Amino acid sequence: MKRWIERWNAYWFPETTTRELCLSRIVVVAAQLLLFPPVLEKHINYLTKNSEFIDPQVIISAIAAVFPRETVFTPSVFTTLYWVTFVAGLLTLVGLFTRPSAFVFALCNWIFVAHEYSYGDRHHGEALFCILLMCYAFSPSGDSYSIDALLRRWRSRRAGVPVEGPRRTDTAMWPLKFVHVLLAMTYFSTGASKLIAGGPSWMNGYTLQLYTFNDALNRGMPFGIWLAQQHALAIALSIFTILFETFFFVSVLLPWTAPLFFIVGIFFHLSLYMAGGHDFFQHIVLLFVLLLFLAPAWWRAWLNKYLAILSARWRRQEQAQQPV
Amino acid sequence: MRQSKVWISTVILLVIALHAVPVFHAGLRKRIWPILDWAMYKDASPPGPIETDRKRIVGITATGQREVISKEAVGLSSFALDRLYAKPMKVGDSSAAHQLVLRLNRQRQDPFVEVRLEVETFTATDTGIVRRENPPITYRVDPTPSR
Repeated sequence: MKRWIERWNAYWFPETTTRELCLSRIVVVAAQLLLFPPVLEKHINYLTKNSEFIDPQVIISAIAAVFPRETVFTPSVFTTLYWVTFVAGLLTLVGLFTRPSAFVFALCNWIFVAHEYSYGDRHHGEALFCILLMCYAFSPSGDSYSIDALLRRWRSRRAGVPVEGPRRTDTAMWPLKFVHVLLAMTYFSTGASKLIAGGPSWMNGYTLQLYTFNDALNRGMPFGIWLAQQHALAIALSIFTILFETFFFVSVLLPWTAPLFFIVGIFFHLSLYMAGGHDFFQHIVLLFVLLLFLAPAWWRAWLNKYLAILSARWRRQEQAQQPV
Repeated sequence: MRQSKVWISTVILLVIALHAVPVFHAGLRKRIWPILDWAMYKDASPPGPIETDRKRIVGITATGQREVISKEAVGLSSFALDRLYAKPMKVGDSSAAHQLVLRLNRQRQDPFVEVRLEVETFTATDTGIVRRENPPITYRVDPTPSR
């Protein structure tokens, strides 16, 4: 038992600085604010055109159980909630009262997404991204690169206490690792469900052609319409899809393979968008964040290697230009 | 283990375990966002024509105006509009058409008295995409709710 706990701690709670977590906070919150904010007009339209929910999400049912629908689910309350979300997002981004702000920001976004998905429709794009947003509220996400950190240093200086450097802690990596594990689970679930429900026929080419044709035609994606007419390519892409989704979990078990899976994943989602208009932009950001901050050694090694080559080339050029 | 780590570990395990709920409990599947069932595009299609439909719902008002019924006008997403109204109307479900008209007429001066489902079928062939227009499926409806 003790060995299992040690392994668990070694995986989820390694001692690191908080830099990666805090930089990821900035990228993720900026993406949510700029790329994926709630669309207020859409929510107001839902509120004015619907007198009741179709499939209310648990979060919405819980709110409706406490407050009557006609008092909370109104355009004015949602407009206020929208601005609260925006202010909390800005505070989380700059890192002022970071953790409470992150909690309010995540909660408001959860309410908006759950509200949108209470009218007979539901999609997957936002779920893991919103879970990561909430994780920032329960981790030291404001410890570096934040106004909170600047204020802490300023107070230390004023009190004559030596200013401490970046803190090392064992609770800075779990949010990124958690999202990695959840991504692996969800990809595996998607791949396995295709193999269970569709079997090998899922890779017959016709399946992918039909799905792509339907989505591309109704969403106006010319690349997808072309792709839907390429049978051999559809077979190859079906096999690739099953392999990628089913084996993404390998990136958790063998961390050295993770950068490869993250990069392939980014291109996988970009091609899904171009082919069928599947807008998993949040997953693209998540994979990019994991590539940058969960597997930094990989790209740093590449960067160092490239910079070393570049500086050696400059030195050679300088030597060649010097008079003999 | 420190108490904070115990809490974090518990939440991690709980969230991972909760992902089993939508897989095994169909009733909760649609209602526990952000915990989702991730089975997408799972069914296979046998060899056959690569064919799909493009549907459009059109309403005719009491004064004879023709209006395309958009997702914004209904107050639903395109998926919900398709699932709740267009698909049932395609297979002859007049109650879906009736429900749609009642929903639309709640906030209208010029009520709809007829809804029409227009379906175009597109087929991918060796020589390109072939478009076929199907006869519209028309539903005449009483614009007022039945008492």
